[in-house]
Amino acid sequence: MVGIGFRKDFAAELLQSNTLSPSFIEVAPENWIGVGGYWKKLFYKALEKYPLYTHGLSLSIGSPDELDYDFLKKVKLFLTETNAEIYSEHLSYAKCDNAHLYDLLPIPFTQDAAMHVAKRIEMIQNVLDRKIAIEIVSYYSPVAPEITEIDFINLILKQTDCDLLLDVNNVYVNSFNHQYDAKQFINALPLERVSYIHMAGHLQLSDTLIIDTHGEAIIDPVFDLFEHTIKKLGRDIPVLLERDFNIPELEELQLEIDRLQTIKQDALKKENYAAA
Amino acid sequence: MPLLESTYRNQSALASYCRTGNYRPIKGINKKNITQYRRLVFSIVDDMLTSAFPLAYGLVSNREWASLTKDFFSNHPCSSPQVWHMPKEFYHYLSTIRHPLLAKYPFLLELLWFEWLEIDLYMMADKIVPYNSIGDISTDALVLNPESHFQHFNYPVHLKNAKKITKADHSNYYLTIHRLPETGSVSFTNLSPALLRMLEILANQPCTVTALSQQVCSELGITYTDDILKTTTGFIQESLQSQLIIGFAPN
Repeated sequence: MVGIGFRKDFAAELLQSNTLSPSFIEVAPENWIGVGGYWKKLFYKALEKYPLYTHGLSLSIGSPDELDYDFLKKVKLFLTETNAEIYSEHLSYAKCDNAHLYDLLPIPFTQDAAMHVAKRIEMIQNVLDRKIAIEIVSYYSPVAPEITEIDFINLILKQTDCDLLLDVNNVYVNSFNHQYDAKQFINALPLERVSYIHMAGHLQLSDTLIIDTHGEAIIDPVFDLFEHTIKKLGRDIPVLLERDFNIPELEELQLEIDRLQTIKQDALKKENYAAA
Repeated sequence: MPLLESTYRNQSALASYCRTGNYRPIKGINKKNITQYRRLVFSIVDDMLTSAFPLAYGLVSNREWASLTKDFFSNHPCSSPQVWHMPKEFYHYLSTIRHPLLAKYPFLLELLWFEWLEIDLYMMADKIVPYNSIGDISTDALVLNPESHFQHFNYPVHLKNAKKITKADHSNYYLTIHRLPETGSVSFTNLSPALLRMLEILANQPCTVTALSQQVCSELGITYTDDILKTTTGFIQESLQSQLIIGFAPN
């Protein structure tokens, strides 16, 4: 299964033609909660056609602020009303000192922050009454780190039973920005916890910095890392193509979806031969 | 293990830097790359406000716009987890602090509110009331479109190019904004106070055209006549056509 982020930019075209054939769509609940009128009609038409996966932006799991329970309840209602199959969020914070920032800031890689995040994931799962998947975010600078990124992530995963959303592009971006081996990083994750994969393009700003923009096509090294990931996983899991800006013709997006599907199928076929 | 004070301080310092641009040293940070966060965060804010308020953005200079948006994001803690609510918070913030630019552009707040109303009506959750599409305009109680809003302005921000509005335009302007049930598009209707009052009465409960005319005449202290009923019926017919009034109350 390869899905696509459901963007208002191409929502009508997606529903009116068969140019793009995703297996599912993904939305951020924040962009649809409390929305009526034209967009609600269009969204519900899409729900008749595609299974829904959801990916939150503003829950701010890594924030020092209190969890926003009112908002969490709205998310829960949204997930029920839309029959959402997956709810995922980011290992980051987007709110601090009671102010939303509407972007994903890096959590300090410290033991206390890891424990804090793990506890909040448990609280969120209890309210939502479902397991969530957490995504490793791209970051451009560490913040007062005391442990490594991989140790930070694994510590959180050890403390909770949540799933892992593996954004392969984010791992590539981080490995470039912070100079580590992306494959080794992926190998060091508890891959049995990965329930969902994100794939996207990025923008290289300089010799030392890549920004995770979701505004470009996926580059070959990220496709290669995706193939490596699927081989290591050895099982089929849903994959999402994220394209949020600079959106091309739908034919181009379908080509990316097809390529992801082919890589996945081939990688799993080869793994099965190897196992036999 | 609770979150340590030092961890909170570092998180707060980064968030504060993104909002204000004021940097407090954070251990282990890449000083060059951290500027990307400020750029990325503020780009989201600016994109959201610029696209929500194209008329206000076109009215003020780039420098003035940057001053407004930076002042807002630095000093106002955005409370909604939904980024598309930010324009409303921007309006409320500016109306609270009485920014100096409001003296230069006395209608700026109304312009911002006018632009927000269009977004608000377009996006708001569906409101459903019972009604029949077919009825007798002269005898059946009328049902107001529940997805509507009444507004009074002191400047004609809904009628004139913002750059041509002057202090001489200061007056009373009444209008309604409503969402069309089928397409979801938003429509503005300029109205006299008497007609707006009729819609206010309808907003409380469905009412016949005769009862509406009589009540408004009584409130205004004028004699109810057949001509007034005829004028009101004409307005109701137009409102049914534009779906400002969506139909007739079920029996």
